Amino acid sequence: MNVIECKNLTHYYGKKLVYEKLSFNVKEGSILGLLGKNGTGKTTTINILNGFLHPQNGECLIYGENTQNLSPQNKARIGFLIEGHVQYAFMNIHQIEKFYSKFYPKWDNAPYWQLMSKLQVSPKQKIATMSCGQRSQVALGLILAQDPDLLILDDFSMGLDPGYRRLFIDYLREYAKEKNKTIFTTSHIIQDMERLIDDLLIMDFNRVLAQRDVKSFMQEFKQFYLELDDPSVDISNEDFVINSEKVSNKLELYTYESEDTILNFLKNNGIAHKNFRQVKMGLEDAFIGLTGKY
Amino acid sequence: MWKSILYKEWLKIRWFAFIYAALGILVVGNIFLKVQHDFEFSQAENYWYSILFQGNQFYEYSLFKFVPLLGALVIALAQYFPETVNKRIKLTFHLPLNENKALLAMMLFGAFCLLAIAAVLVVLFTGLSGMYFPSEIIQSALISVAPWFLCGFTVYFLTALIVLEPVWKYRFLYLLVAATLVPIYLQTAAARAYSPALPLLIVFTVLLSVALLFSGYRFRKGEM
Repeated sequence: MNVIECKNLTHYYGKKLVYEKLSFNVKEGSILGLLGKNGTGKTTTINILNGFLHPQNGECLIYGENTQNLSPQNKARIGFLIEGHVQYAFMNIHQIEKFYSKFYPKWDNAPYWQLMSKLQVSPKQKIATMSCGQRSQVALGLILAQDPDLLILDDFSMGLDPGYRRLFIDYLREYAKEKNKTIFTTSHIIQDMERLIDDLLIMDFNRVLAQRDVKSFMQEFKQFYLELDDPSVDISNEDFVINSEKVSNKLELYTYESEDTILNFLKNNGIAHKNFRQVKMGLEDAFIGLTGKY
Repeated sequence: MWKSILYKEWLKIRWFAFIYAALGILVVGNIFLKVQHDFEFSQAENYWYSILFQGNQFYEYSLFKFVPLLGALVIALAQYFPETVNKRIKLTFHLPLNENKALLAMMLFGAFCLLAIAAVLVVLFTGLSGMYFPSEIIQSALISVAPWFLCGFTVYFLTALIVLEPVWKYRFLYLLVAATLVPIYLQTAAARAYSPALPLLIVFTVLLSVALLFSGYRFRKGEM
């Protein structure tokens, strides 16, 4: 069953096209990461999903309801983390728990207080005076206490130091898998996503570059390194080349094709080279390989 | 759920509401200190004569003129500005409530606080007036201060509209509208001069109360 269904989304800011006819689904119980460089439409997508933006064309459905008119019952099933872990900063941790607890029928404050016990904050300390890491734990604790079926997280890693990022991810993944929660998330730190997500959607300016499960993507998308005898050789326009980076005669080649196919191509076209090897990639390397460094 | 919304609003405005109420009480106290002073030093007969026969020189309730305006402005800013920092209003719109009803609940709570403070001040003012003046003069004074309290509500509703508006250009436009409308309530006028206009001003002020829904709608539509 699809929890999120977005069909043919098209949006412009003025005359600038963000994307055209973007479609994607998020299956129940999966964790999907929306990856892309700045300005490729990640926050635009999150805003459409939360009903804070009308797309020029297309629609998004969450649990079968158009996101522009979500019913209160459906909103209660969605946990939403705003970029920067924004919360009601004029409240303290007791006040904010008291505030939210009345809205959600499944509210369970145990995970919230468990997280709060790890923070070095005084009971009356306002959220505004907490560090970014502490605020992230408050926001996460509130979402866990809400016990939503779907979590929408907008750049959860923003402003967090590595320790808090790891804490956030580990908590979240364990929680989601244990309780069969669905997560739709963005983050500009791709390494974090590698530990968290099952599926990925990689966006570039105006288009989708990849939309699949992380495991198969990491198996099929490859990086090869070789040193060309003739640095003027250019194979960047070949069909199988997804992206390439060349410095002098050193070529990094990104492709979905196998090592044999590449070697055969080089041989058949008489492209002399040396030190050919496949380079092991992490998700961040693969992301950069797919989207380019610029 | 609705109690929670009121709780959130109360947390934002409580100190500002107390300060406004305290300021209002100080102003009422000041008015009657002056009345007491004039009664003592001008003799009651002379004071009465000046009120009745020298061109409506009523006691100095004009000190009230800008107090409701300032109080309403401060309370509206305290209530709505924190919602716009980091677009925090998204949190309110994401609550399992109808978005318009949530905004209306916020507005009604703020307006109720203004009304409660106005009621305290008017009761205090009327009670103290009763010690010095007959009901005809008190009635005239109350009709004269009514537009100033109405002005407070108008400023509150317009501030909500302006602060929640997502586009600066429109904020500026609404500000110009506010700068045109608000002085209508504050014209220098003889006692009871606003009497014929009061019903119309009340209707106009009540109509303005829902203006913030338009800013909320524009925010949800994604205007930026």
